[in-house]
Formats: sequence, C-alpha cells, structure tokens
Amino acid sequence: MARLLVVDDESSIRLLYSQELADDGHEVATAATAAEAVEKIKESEFDLIVLDIKLKNESGLDLLQKVVKERHNLPVILCTAFSCFKDDFSAWLADGYVVKSSDLTELKEEVKRVLVKKGK
Amino acid sequence: MDWVCCWHRKVVEPGGCPNIGEGEEVLYTSYQRRILEKCIDCPNFRNDLQKMQESGNPLGEVVSFLLGEVREQRGKLQSMVSFLDSREREIKFLHEISLVLQTSVDLDEVLSVVMTAITAGKGFGMNRAFLLLADKERKFLRGYLGVGPLTFGEAWEIWEDIQRDDFTLKEMARDFYQTKLTSEKQKFHDVLKRMTIPLSDPNHVLVRALREKRPILVENAFQNPECDHSLVQALGVDTFLITPLISRNRRIGVIISDNCITHKQITPQDVQSLETFAFSVAFAIERASLYERLQEELLKVTAANVKLKEQQELIVRMERMALVGKITSSIAHSIRNPLMIIGGFARTLLRGAADDDPQREYLESIGQQVRQLEEVLEDILNYSDSLYPTLDIWDVNQLVSAVCRELNGRLHERRVACRLRLDTGLPPARIDYKQVAYCVRTIVNTAMEGMPEGGEIRAETRRENGWILVEISDNGVALSRESIDAMTTPFGSTEELGSGLGVAICKTIMEKHGNLFEVDTPPGGGTRYIIKLPVNREET
Repeated sequence: MARLLVVDDESSIRLLYSQELADDGHEVATAATAAEAVEKIKESEFDLIVLDIKLKNESGLDLLQKVVKERHNLPVILCTAFSCFKDDFSAWLADGYVVKSSDLTELKEEVKRVLVKKGK
Repeated sequence: MDWVCCWHRKVVEPGGCPNIGEGEEVLYTSYQRRILEKCIDCPNFRNDLQKMQESGNPLGEVVSFLLGEVREQRGKLQSMVSFLDSREREIKFLHEISLVLQTSVDLDEVLSVVMTAITAGKGFGMNRAFLLLADKERKFLRGYLGVGPLTFGEAWEIWEDIQRDDFTLKEMARDFYQTKLTSEKQKFHDVLKRMTIPLSDPNHVLVRALREKRPILVENAFQNPECDHSLVQALGVDTFLITPLISRNRRIGVIISDNCITHKQITPQDVQSLETFAFSVAFAIERASLYERLQEELLKVTAANVKLKEQQELIVRMERMALVGKITSSIAHSIRNPLMIIGGFARTLLRGAADDDPQREYLESIGQQVRQLEEVLEDILNYSDSLYPTLDIWDVNQLVSAVCRELNGRLHERRVACRLRLDTGLPPARIDYKQVAYCVRTIVNTAMEGMPEGGEIRAETRRENGWILVEISDNGVALSRESIDAMTTPFGSTEELGSGLGVAICKTIMEKHGNLFEVDTPPGGGTRYIIKLPVNREET
C-alpha cells in the first residue's frame, strides 16, 4: 500500500481516480490546484503524485519542476488528455506519462511500475 | 592595195567578216566598234598591217604601236575587272555570312557558319580551323571545336564531296550544323583537349594576339621560342594564323587556321580578310553565349517563380489546415475529459455490480461505446497532429520492427503470425517517425482485425525506383474494390471492417508528407498495403 496524491482540477476525475486507486489498496489524497498540492506535500509524506498537466490557469509542468527540485525522490506520473506533451522536454522529468482514458488499467499499471521502481 | 581584211569598208555584207558571229549583226554596219572589237585580234588585219609596213607606208608603224598600247590597256582593264569581281564575291560572301551571324542566337549554329566560312573553298579556303573559347571565369582559353581533314586522303574526299554537292556557303553551314558538328568535335577531341591555355600567361602567343588585338601569323613554329611547344605539337604544322576574337574589349577566344594539307602560303590578303571577318564572329559568339546564359537564367527564374507560387499555396493551405487542426484538437480535448469520467465510472460501477445484476448490461454498453468514442478521438487527434510533421532521418527497418514488436502481445492473442523481411541495404529515410509508425501500426491492426480466425501478416521493406517501400500484406479474405475505396476515404464504411478513420487517415497523413500510400489485392489473395517513403537525398 502506498500514499498517493492525485492533482486534477476536475472534481469528477479526482473522485474517479481516488476510488479506483483506493480499490487497488492505496491511500489517496487529492488536490484541485497547484497551491493546494504544495500545501499537502508539505503537510504529509506521499509515495507518488498523479498529476494533470492542465490545471485551470496553471501548468502541471511547473508544479512538476518544483517537486523535482524540492522533493527529488518523490515520483510523479503525468496524466493528461494531450498526447503531444510526451515530446515536451520538461515532461521527461516525470517518472511516467499516461494519456487519460476511461480504461484506467494503463494508469494503474503505471502506478504499480513506478512504485516498484522506486522501491515503495 | 588589195586588203585581205574588211577593216577599210564602212559596211560589210553578212558573211563578209569571219569574226562576226550570231547576235553580233550590229557590227556589220557599226564601223568603229567592228575595228575595236574584231579587227584588233584578226589575223587578216595583222597581214594587212604587215603589208602596209612592207610597202613603206609610215602609218603601218604608227598603227602597230597604237595597237600594242590598246592591247596592254585592255589587259590591265581586264585584270582590274577580275579583281573587282573577286572583291564583289568576297563582299557578297561576308554579307551572306553576317546575315546568318546577325540572326542566329544558337551558339553551335553560329560556330558552324564561322568554321565553314573559314574552311570552305567558297569562303576563306583554309585547310583547317580550330576555335578556342575563353571560359566563363575568363581564366583559360579552351579548345572548343576543330574543323577540317585529319589526313590528305580525307581532304580529297571532302573536296570531292563539295564539288559533287555544289552547295552554297549557307547550305554547307546548315549541313555542317545538322550532320557534322558532333563528329567534328569528336574527331579533334584529343587535339582540343591539349589546347588549354591560361589567360594569365602574357607571353603565350595566343594571349599576345588577344592583348594586341591583331592577328599573328606564326612561321617556323617548331623553332619559334615564343610558341608553346605542346600547342605546336597538337597542331602538327609550322605555319598557322592566329586571329583574336574580341567584342567590346572582352576576350571571347581565338581562331587558329592553317593549310596543313596543301601548304599553300597564307597571304597578307588572307590575314586581312580573316581579321575583318573576326569582328562579326566575336560579336555573334558573344551574343549567342549571352543568349544561352539568358535562357539558363530565365529557366531558373521561371522555376523559382513556380516554386514561390507553390509555397504561397502551401502557406494558405497550411494556415487553413492549422485552423481546422486547432478547432478539431480543442473540441476533441474538451470531449475527452467528460467521456473519460463517464466511461471510468461505468467501469467502476460494473466492477462493483454482482454477476446477476440486470444493470451490468447497461454499464457494459456504456463502457464499450465510450471506448469506441475514445478511439475516434484518438484518430482525430492523430490527424490534427499530422498537420505539423517533424521530418528527420530514420531507419525504416528499425521503425517497422519496433512497431511489430510493440504489437506482439495482441498478435499472439489473435493467433496472427507476423513475418518480417527487411532489406538490410536500405538507405535512411526522411520522415516523421511518429506518423509513419502510426500508419504501420494502424495497418497491422486493420489486417489483424480482418483475420478473426488468425493468419499471417508479412511486413517487407525494399528499395524501388528511388523510394523506400514498406509493404504489409495479409492472407485474409481479399477486399472488394468498393471496400478499398471506402476504407481509404475518411468516414467511409466497409462491411468487413465497420466504419472508422484508421486507414483513411494513414493515406491522408502519408500523402500530405509527400509519401505514397496504396491498398490493393494481389493475385495470391489477401490485402496488400504499400507505403512509399522518400530516401534521404542529403546522404545518398
């Protein structure tokens, strides 16, 4: 079991991810904005962040850079509706990249893979 | 005294004078003319004069003296006339030549006229002529064309031909241009090859002729220290004439002419005539070369213009496409999130539902439909991505094997074998890797879906007519022509494959990138998909 933080501006998606990932036995917290996410990271320890790239008026990639700089051993999986960000240099900082789909198998597999890789 | 000749009669009866022929009847009554034209050369008159002298008549001596003077003056007059005749012929000849030179802008035609004029008997009658032209950079004089016989035997053949055909100079030039130009160039190829003289060498006799702007007659060339030994060797004669070709101070080239067969002396008259001729030759050659260059420039400008027009059209098209792409992408993305939430929750609910729950069927249906919509969205997004290709140099074999490896699991699941036959000598291609990989993946998927009972897919690469070919074929049921047409048209639908964008998008993407895409049914059965990719020209 791991502690995960799902960052997405869409409440339904936060709900869906929390439920699905909790079903896999993880403890899931959520954040709707980058600020809220930073706050939560400060407050408690997480094993993995699932991060949306488009957050209302903010960029998930900025938050990714901040996390990599300040908490370099906290893995991040980028989760987005855009497949084109795969070619963005800053996206390469992430440990995983998943294109949003109603079938969450890929996301779950990616979470499992990254956690195993980080030994968590 | 009894005179034998009729000179003393004012009028002569027809038949009275043996020297008056047909058409000259007027002389019977024209006393003065008859004496001047006929009696002077008549042997009877000479006999009468002899008799007069013998009889001691002093007029006999005077008439004889006057007669000698008249004959001498007449001879002089005749030679003047023949000199004028030859001058007139020369002027006519120069006029004829200059007419052709003034009207022609074809360099080879001009040269044919020039060289024929120099070597033909009706022209300057030299045995041989070589033309050397200054190159574009004006660094070297290079042998360009030689005309004339190589041997004495050949010379006779040529002269006999000329006598038999009896062409005018203009006809000879045209005949030369049409039938002999190439072979003459070839005939003197070795000699011409040895005639390369740097224009920077001020001591070279050819360069000197150009600098001094006057013809130079070289004699005793083999012993002449001023003459370039290799040039004399190439020519093989010890006397030749160098005529510079200069047009408005620009050094066009030189003509070397000689009489290597007849060894006829080159007279000051020849030198002067050729010098006069050279003015119009230089001008005509320069004009023809300028025209040739103008044509080249015109072609370049026309091509650039066409390219510019194409680019402008492309820009307009791309702007339109970019706008379409932006709208499509924006709509697709805004649909994607809600779609994913609907489908995601449907799956969550489905997982929580009991096996006999009647709601299961509805939830399954929602899940399936959402998945299908997501696939359509994926296609549309791929299509709008394809509007911005990123071209780079890739190994096509590596691309094909990577895609097949990636699909290995699904192929195995569906009991479809995938056989690769990759050409190891393939050059690199200039392509958008992502887009081509997408197409190969879509084709393999489509082929796989067409064989629900399993089968075999062959992926082959090879080089053909300057393209790199990726050929993917299956051994499933052969598609009808209509199905293929429908499959390659966006939103067309086929009975066998259902509706979709897959192959149609492949076709559009590939063709937009300048690649070719074909689908057909080979005689052996199944369906064959061929993608033609461009070879990276910079490397080959």
